[in-house]
Amino acid sequence: MRRGVWHQCGDRSQKLVLEQLQLGNGVGVILSPRDLSFNNACDYAHAYRDLGAEVTIDLQFYNPQFHNRFIDSYPTNEYRISVSDLCQINDGQLQGLSESLTNINGSIGATALIAPALIYETGRQDLVGLNSRLFSIAKQVGNDLGIPTYASVLLGRSATVSESSINSLLSSATALNCDGWYFGFEFNQNRIPNNYDDLLRFGRSLLTLASTGKPVLHSYSGPLSIFSMGFGATGTAIGHSQNLWQFTRGRWEIVLSGQGGGGDAPPRYFSQNLWGTFVYPDELFQLPDNLRQRLLTPTPFSNSLNAISPFTWSRWDANKHLIYIIGNVINQQAQDVDPRLCANFALEILTGAIQLGDEIQNSGLRLKDDTCCYQSDWKQALIDGLAQYNSDYDYLSLLM
Amino acid sequence: MPFIVPIDEARSMFPQFIFLSPLTPSEQKAAFHVRDTNGTDLCLKIIAPNYDIDRLQREILALQSLSHPNIVRLIEYTFSSRPEIQRHYVIEEFIEGQDLRDDIVPGQPWDLNEATPFFISLFDGLNALNMKQLVHRDLKPNNIRVKPDNSPVIIDFGLARHLSLSDLTTTRAGAAIGTPAYFAPEQFQGNKHDIDHRTDLYAVGTILFEVLVGHHPFHSVINSYSDLQDAVCNSSEYLRDSIFVTLPVSWQLIISKLLEKERVRRPLNASQVVTILQRIGG
Repeated sequence: MRRGVWHQCGDRSQKLVLEQLQLGNGVGVILSPRDLSFNNACDYAHAYRDLGAEVTIDLQFYNPQFHNRFIDSYPTNEYRISVSDLCQINDGQLQGLSESLTNINGSIGATALIAPALIYETGRQDLVGLNSRLFSIAKQVGNDLGIPTYASVLLGRSATVSESSINSLLSSATALNCDGWYFGFEFNQNRIPNNYDDLLRFGRSLLTLASTGKPVLHSYSGPLSIFSMGFGATGTAIGHSQNLWQFTRGRWEIVLSGQGGGGDAPPRYFSQNLWGTFVYPDELFQLPDNLRQRLLTPTPFSNSLNAISPFTWSRWDANKHLIYIIGNVINQQAQDVDPRLCANFALEILTGAIQLGDEIQNSGLRLKDDTCCYQSDWKQALIDGLAQYNSDYDYLSLLM
Repeated sequence: MPFIVPIDEARSMFPQFIFLSPLTPSEQKAAFHVRDTNGTDLCLKIIAPNYDIDRLQREILALQSLSHPNIVRLIEYTFSSRPEIQRHYVIEEFIEGQDLRDDIVPGQPWDLNEATPFFISLFDGLNALNMKQLVHRDLKPNNIRVKPDNSPVIIDFGLARHLSLSDLTTTRAGAAIGTPAYFAPEQFQGNKHDIDHRTDLYAVGTILFEVLVGHHPFHSVINSYSDLQDAVCNSSEYLRDSIFVTLPVSWQLIISKLLEKERVRRPLNASQVVTILQRIGG
């Protein structure tokens, strides 16, 4: 697994990803069957690989009964059934799943196989058993195709609320003989996680998986990527849409209109220096020039952003700008293999963001995307994580 | 109660061997140091009549699949039926030397230079078990022989479990079998689903502590099952042991990781420990 930013598809961003890879942004792509037919997935996969990216596909069994016209075009469709039916599936039927996985991963030329799995939930030993069986099938396919197999470890909210539940499930999950981890952690927040305790549990879960010595891909990360890298992630998957910024199962059900969506909200500016915070056009316009200059981070997609009239900026340019900035920063952060150094890198950015946010607020402007609501929690969780999990970091350094 | 077969009775049952000495018997097996007609020293184990034959066959299966210098080698398994007696018996290579128990002297910790190659080999043997998905479940100083060249050999696979096969014990018993002094927390409190390779790592972590510190990590409560259970499952007092804290930090770290309460917080496998020990050395 290559270190750095991976592009998480799933919200009509295939062309955007292609463009970012052409600019050298990103080391891998995770295809999604949610918004891309099987045939088109094969075409895009080849295009991405031609640009030097690793390519894999997340078949998304988190909500195994979910169907739409795209997902139904995949050979695994007949296994998209209820959890209870999946739990009763026999070994003969699983053989069919094996053939489907071979077909899909072989056709897209996957460089790694993400094992299908259901969300781990507290008290559901049946799901642990089912995930283990699904993994065994996937691992055999991965071996046959000669590619690494990543075990999907998606921790549901019933588990992520307590450290003991997390440890118990991770103890079971890490018994799987995989080549890496595809990790997700269900938070309780709408857009960006900001609960200190949740963040610390999330960080420790990541660090624990990293301590197995196997690479960890944080599957739905977004701006939280800088935090994830500080807790030992090898790669983080990002997407332009907030649906892809954290693992929240309900959002898979959102119907894609094919025409964009999101109402008529103006495009917003993602600022590297205010990490995680969006600035609306009218806010940009109101800022004193010196603060506006510090807030702006130029990218190939921000050229049309006119400080005199920022309303001319297109929404897709705003999306591309966001991905470009996150990718650029994470790829810089990923240059350091030592997670402690990655954590310090994140702390530097967050400290600067908090300071700039304070200055903006002192100028009399309160940003709608409340700056203070998460950066300080992220920062504190990183500081405390470095101190409390010192031995985990030490152990990781022994493995490097 | 050990299963004892008088040596003269054993001689009459197996006239093809020269009986050199009886070895420590267990509840399930009487054991003898014997020599065959070619002059090769062997270990003959006579299985108690009440021993679970399914379990025995699992043990045989486990040993037959292994070939590693740090794991005892199975030579023959035979079922002998005569008019008045039916016996299962096993012949293994005879490991010269003594039990590791004899080399652990209270208050006399090993030197790191001595311990490092020994434990690298021991973890290497454990890794061979893991590669075959075998869990020994009863690793303790009495089940590790020390050869004259100071290399370890893991013996007695009577409680070994193949993780891909169903367990022969009930759920709770599936966890709580073995020797409590070397139990991992999941053996005291869990069920058989919680037993895996990392359970063996915990046991060897306990042995590593004992060897380098000169006493068991929970030596003050070792004679009380309930107190031991409580300590193993909840206490990290051993981290403050006056001798333990004098070990190099990296050794303290690896031992404390091996003795973590949660499996997920222990090293992933023995191979990882071998790599680390090779790196930190003595």
